[in-house]
Amino acid sequence: MAMDVVLSAQGLTKTYGAGKDALQVLGGISFAVNRGEFVSVVGPSGCGKTTLLFAIAGLQGVTSGTVTFNGRPVTAPPKGVAVVFQDYSRSLFPWKNNRDNVAFGMARIQGLSAAQKRDKAQEMLDAVGLAGFADKYPWQLSGGMQQRVAIARGLASQSELLLLDEPLAAVDAQTRADMQDLLLDLAIRFKQTCVLVTHDVEEAVYMADRVVVLTRRPTVVDHEIVIELGKKRDQITTREDPRFLAARHDVMTSIRGQRAHAPASAA
Amino acid sequence: MDGFSAFALLLRFRALVSFLIIVAVWQLVAALGLAPEKYFPGIPAIVSGFLGMVANGELAAAEWRTLLRAMLGLAGASLLGVGLAILSDISPAFRRGFAPIAALIQPIPPAAVVPMAVFMLGLGPKLYAFIIILVTVWPPYFNGVAALASVSDIQIRSGQMLGLSRWQILRQIKLPAAMPEIFAGIRYASTISLIAVVVAEMLAGHDGLGFLLVRKAFAIRIPEVYALMFVCAANGLVLNAIVNAARWQLAGWHLRMTGQPA
Ligand SMILES: Nc1ncnc2c1ncn2[C@@H]1O[C@H](COP(=O)(O)OP(=O)(O)O)[C@@H](O)[C@H]1O
Ligand SMILES: [Mg+2]
Repeated sequence: MAMDVVLSAQGLTKTYGAGKDALQVLGGISFAVNRGEFVSVVGPSGCGKTTLLFAIAGLQGVTSGTVTFNGRPVTAPPKGVAVVFQDYSRSLFPWKNNRDNVAFGMARIQGLSAAQKRDKAQEMLDAVGLAGFADKYPWQLSGGMQQRVAIARGLASQSELLLLDEPLAAVDAQTRADMQDLLLDLAIRFKQTCVLVTHDVEEAVYMADRVVVLTRRPTVVDHEIVIELGKKRDQITTREDPRFLAARHDVMTSIRGQRAHAPASAA
Repeated sequence: MDGFSAFALLLRFRALVSFLIIVAVWQLVAALGLAPEKYFPGIPAIVSGFLGMVANGELAAAEWRTLLRAMLGLAGASLLGVGLAILSDISPAFRRGFAPIAALIQPIPPAAVVPMAVFMLGLGPKLYAFIIILVTVWPPYFNGVAALASVSDIQIRSGQMLGLSRWQILRQIKLPAAMPEIFAGIRYASTISLIAVVVAEMLAGHDGLGFLLVRKAFAIRIPEVYALMFVCAANGLVLNAIVNAARWQLAGWHLRMTGQPA
């Protein structure tokens, strides 16, 4: 298979603050994402996952290192990249109804009339299972539904790379399972290359074609593992599959191993 | 009609209900002779004073001028306040430079501004504009600055991801997000603007409610003075209704979201 690299991060470091308040969060992260791939980046809370995602999205500069998207260095949010943020309640616009929130995602698409954007927004809401909620406002929906509106907005931008920052961390377990499958379906249907950042090892393995395992701060890539489970996943059978269990064991071990060493490295 | 819907009805007409209660208590105090009748006339005397001013046209002329001044002053002060808040948001240098000026001017009471303003601007519309705006601009300004600064960073980043310019982010994201808090400031400012207009008319005017009030007071027309006081209170309700209508237009989503009644 010819590797078609969409995204590449090379030696990303990030230090917040300066002097004795300086906090080095990223310690030199490198990885690449191929077209059509679903890559999970997994690491403990506070290790710098959001920092990394914002750097990839061009939303926040790094201290050193480079990000390239389709071969071009990223210095500002590039066209073709969409983000679904962790905190859906602060990401949607409460003064717009759900249709207009989704239509807002088309701000960069040229040559669409307002009516076409509305139709397209409705289509995206249908795709995430919220057909009947276009005229409602985000604050009239449950958390999981709000995050689906945010996903629809991300898809509406017709990007090729979808960056997901712990999108399901705040929804209940049943909703989370449903939305994992929804995201996998949408990724295929809309031909999205996806990077999912999460602290949830099970979710990282369940969703991904490849898992990038991070270390503690200053964070680097510990190792990567390819998940040989094919694109078709199932909440019950996939999670019982020996290959799933082996991958889960591998990731869990490396993350727990780091925790065991924590006191020594913190000293 | 059960107790609950009776209560709902009371709530619906709460302004009228409180007004009737005040009138009843007033009349009771007057009728019992708890205060000297000369300085505390009963409701009938006040009403006839009111009707007298209506009949000779004094009231309509004064009321119209005062209300117009208060409305124009409030509109001007709100636009200026929000404009300055936007400027403060765009330019931290401006915010830092303007903060001490605001802190210095803001506590000056309207009455204290009048003499200086008369020396500088003479008597006339400029004087009113200056006084009203000087004391009314602050709630929209301070609320605007605070609200613009506290817009969710995630909402702003959502705009940045779509390649929106700073100006587009301001117009499409920050201003709508800040609107509810700005309107809380404008609501508060509406009261201040009414007070400022009447005070300015009392001290330096030759027409308007404030001027009429002073003239009636000097002529010891006590019932008329009280009638005018009630008119000032009613103006508060009028201005509040206008601000509320604008608020429903520009930030109605927030009222619906927080479940506030119309
Ligand atoms: N703007 C900032 N200034 C200073 N420290 C920050 C900033 N943003 C994040 N941090 C710190 O960097 C670390 C990593 O944050 P974050 O990227 O949000 O981690 P994660 O998403 O993995 O939980 C945390 O300790 C956090 O407190
Ligand atoms: Mg995070």
